[in-house]
Amino acid sequence: MNLPPRCVALAAACLTLCACASTAPPSRETFPLIGNTQVHRYSLENGLRLLVVEDHSSPTFAYHTFFRVGSRDEIPGKTGLAHLFEHMMFKGTARYKEGEFDRILEQAGAEGENAFTSRDYTAYVQELPKSQLDLIAKLEADRMVNLVINEESFKTEVQVVQNERRFRTENNPDGTLYQELFATAFTRHPYRWPVIGSQQDLDSMSAKDAQEFYRTWYSPNHATLVIIGDVLADDAYRIVRKHYGSIAAQPDPVRKLPVEPTQTSPRVREMRLNIQVDKILLGFHVPGILSEEIPVSDVLSAVLTGGNSSRLHRALVDAGIASSVYAYDLEDRDPSLFIIGVALQEGRKPAQALAVIDRELRRLADAQVQEEELQRAKNRLNFAFYDGLNGNSEKANFLGRYEATAGDFRIGLRHMQRIPQVKADELREVARKYLTKSNRTLLTGVRK
Amino acid sequence: MIRGHFLAAFLAAVGFSLAPLQARALELAFEQDTSLPIVYLNVALKAGYVTDPSGQEGITNFMGEMLLRGTRNRSKAELDLALDQIGARLSVETRAESLIFRGAVLSSQLEPFLALLEEILVSPSLPEKEIEKLRSEIVSGILEELGNDSTLASRRFTRFLFQDHPYGKSTLGTLSDVRKLTRSRILVHYDRLMRDRAMLVVGSGDAQASRIEAWARKLASLRPNGGEAAIPLVSVPETPPGRRLQIVDKPDRTQTQINIGQIGLLMTDPRYFAFHLGNYAFGGGSFTSRLMTEIRVKRGWSYGASSHCRFGLRPRLCQIHLFPASKDTAAALRLTLQMVDELARDGITEEEFEFAKRSLINSSGFMYDTSAKRVENTLLERTLNLPDGFMKSYAGRLEKVSRKDVNQALRELLKPESLTVSVLATAEKLKAPLAEAAGLPLERVQVIPYDREPSRIDRGTSPPAPDRY
Repeated sequence: MNLPPRCVALAAACLTLCACASTAPPSRETFPLIGNTQVHRYSLENGLRLLVVEDHSSPTFAYHTFFRVGSRDEIPGKTGLAHLFEHMMFKGTARYKEGEFDRILEQAGAEGENAFTSRDYTAYVQELPKSQLDLIAKLEADRMVNLVINEESFKTEVQVVQNERRFRTENNPDGTLYQELFATAFTRHPYRWPVIGSQQDLDSMSAKDAQEFYRTWYSPNHATLVIIGDVLADDAYRIVRKHYGSIAAQPDPVRKLPVEPTQTSPRVREMRLNIQVDKILLGFHVPGILSEEIPVSDVLSAVLTGGNSSRLHRALVDAGIASSVYAYDLEDRDPSLFIIGVALQEGRKPAQALAVIDRELRRLADAQVQEEELQRAKNRLNFAFYDGLNGNSEKANFLGRYEATAGDFRIGLRHMQRIPQVKADELREVARKYLTKSNRTLLTGVRK
Repeated sequence: MIRGHFLAAFLAAVGFSLAPLQARALELAFEQDTSLPIVYLNVALKAGYVTDPSGQEGITNFMGEMLLRGTRNRSKAELDLALDQIGARLSVETRAESLIFRGAVLSSQLEPFLALLEEILVSPSLPEKEIEKLRSEIVSGILEELGNDSTLASRRFTRFLFQDHPYGKSTLGTLSDVRKLTRSRILVHYDRLMRDRAMLVVGSGDAQASRIEAWARKLASLRPNGGEAAIPLVSVPETPPGRRLQIVDKPDRTQTQINIGQIGLLMTDPRYFAFHLGNYAFGGGSFTSRLMTEIRVKRGWSYGASSHCRFGLRPRLCQIHLFPASKDTAAALRLTLQMVDELARDGITEEEFEFAKRSLINSSGFMYDTSAKRVENTLLERTLNLPDGFMKSYAGRLEKVSRKDVNQALRELLKPESLTVSVLATAEKLKAPLAEAAGLPLERVQVIPYDREPSRIDRGTSPPAPDRY
């Protein structure tokens, strides 16, 4: 039997799976997304999850693969491996030599072919003309199991990633601040290290590390495929099953992530940077994506910085202290951060902006937001939700992200449905609970 | 069957059309799309930052932003509140030859949004207090840009290439000019640009085209007729003679930003599609292009390595961008320049040609597969005076291009001997190696501090002019 390499060690399991394969009509669950649009969910015996949304408005489709592995799954000394491995996925396989994956897809008319790695997941994305579903399923299934990792191409890719790191952090003031915010706010949890990894760790890694990472995480039971566009759902399922059905599941790695201890006092760090205007970055510990408080936190961020009439925009930008301000909840899988970022105006000092932010956060904790202001924030979020689903890739990202971080895309919809019901006293409670000084990490970037 | 044509039949089948409707001289195109309960509406003026008068660089962007800061009936705070209340988004985008007000709103809130947008565009109050506040924000924005190597390097490169031509200006303007802008100058600029002949309304979404048309007709009727004469076309930029190298000197860089380029071509140039195909093979978007293969895949020198062109009503620029580690910069520059030489001399291979042609044709449907992209295409076509449907014509045009056409276009258009090279780096260590890599004597290398803009009249062979701020 001509088994893919990773099936050799688990031949018995593979045979069992192959025996189960049948031509029976697929069983699927169907859920509403927006309007008349529906999401069809399938599962393969090997654990692969598949979401399909039919949208026949253009003869194209998005094909996104989400692996439930990110920098949170790395270990000290190997930081950056999830992202570095994402780069390696574009190298050759036993069947296709290096460069052929890109070449075949580009020639087939692929659009937006790319990949990205986050703290919680890694995604491989592209759009294609409708006739190419079988091709992309074949190629993606192949690199899920047949990747060839050699030391020479691995070392070259380390250099590419080192350059990406220089670009994103070392020579980028915002990236530097962001990296240090996590390094300061977290003391134990893997969110403390950057997705891109440290220079030392990247330099010390070998192709063997990548091979082990591949074996551990790149298997159908750790992945969700999202296909959206001009396809028929059951046909898509059959094609996916044809190409992925024989790939063996891998054991779930046993790993107990360290729990981040509760922060009990403010943390402050000043960084001297090559900048002309000072910056502030604040992080408050907040629960992870499964928390019922996420929709409240979203409304809070809209009250603070959603639009020019928001509180911090008025108090900082209109008041001539800042040139821009933003706030958002990261909504990571594990407890993470609610972030507030400020770019100051010329001559303004971080202390001035901080005093304003403290005042506005106290206001949120002390007094209820009035109904009209609350409705404004909800209206903005409602608009942003629909605006964020404008396209096959955008819908695929929404579904895939929630599948990868929350385990179910319906969590994302539930959050959106909950927003209109958020009450003013809930905002106050969440502000009191999380947006406190003792729970805060403050990074200031000042001119060198 | 040519797969690149896969959308053409589809679009015809659904009856998609962006035929312009004449409302006085205003141009209008709206595509109904009910897939989401949102309406996207853009009002564009066919005049951008190239119209900034001398000494007033940044005024077009400034004027556009000021329109969102108060009308005769509402203060900025009231306007902000009204927009946020209906959950709408409204922003300004300033391009070289257009100024675009980009709006989006839930379809249930379309009527209040249209009323607000009309008020914003035709009844600005330009309050002095808001001018001062915006000035401070923009000055800070320009200063913040100095911390972003990629943006800064691109801005300095463009200025170095175009020298005192209007295409060398920047969207935000210079610190000294922005600090001098006055209300009366902004008002004059508003009256000069906001004319019905310069206006273009393009959108899509969950609304009746007839409603948008009626609104647009009314909008145009509220502004003076005419406008073309007030907005003259810029002159054709000239390629500066000889190869030139500028180092934008910034301390402590472990990575550099290399930009290499020359004056480009028009999209209506008969050689455009051949050149486009050649550029794709060289570095224009493919992960397997020559540049990506040599710079990233084989040597790991840079995370990105690409070549692209920017277009205008006159030839603008074609540019290569890569960002290697400082230690690899001289070698990367030398190799890239050598590759441009080879491209101009030998062109692309048959294999590269076939790959680029099939890739571009097969993916061309993605240039217009969503209503949002079709709106952007219309904006581009109308603001750059391209024929209607130009962006949908790629597959058919590319199909007719031969390898001989490509290599002839590359030979005619590329000027390796006159390339403008700008490198953002720490000059102390790299000046000599970069000069050698560019094949220039050390004294021909200009070094400018990263936080000082060179004068626009600096021709590039003399030492930098005195600081402008």
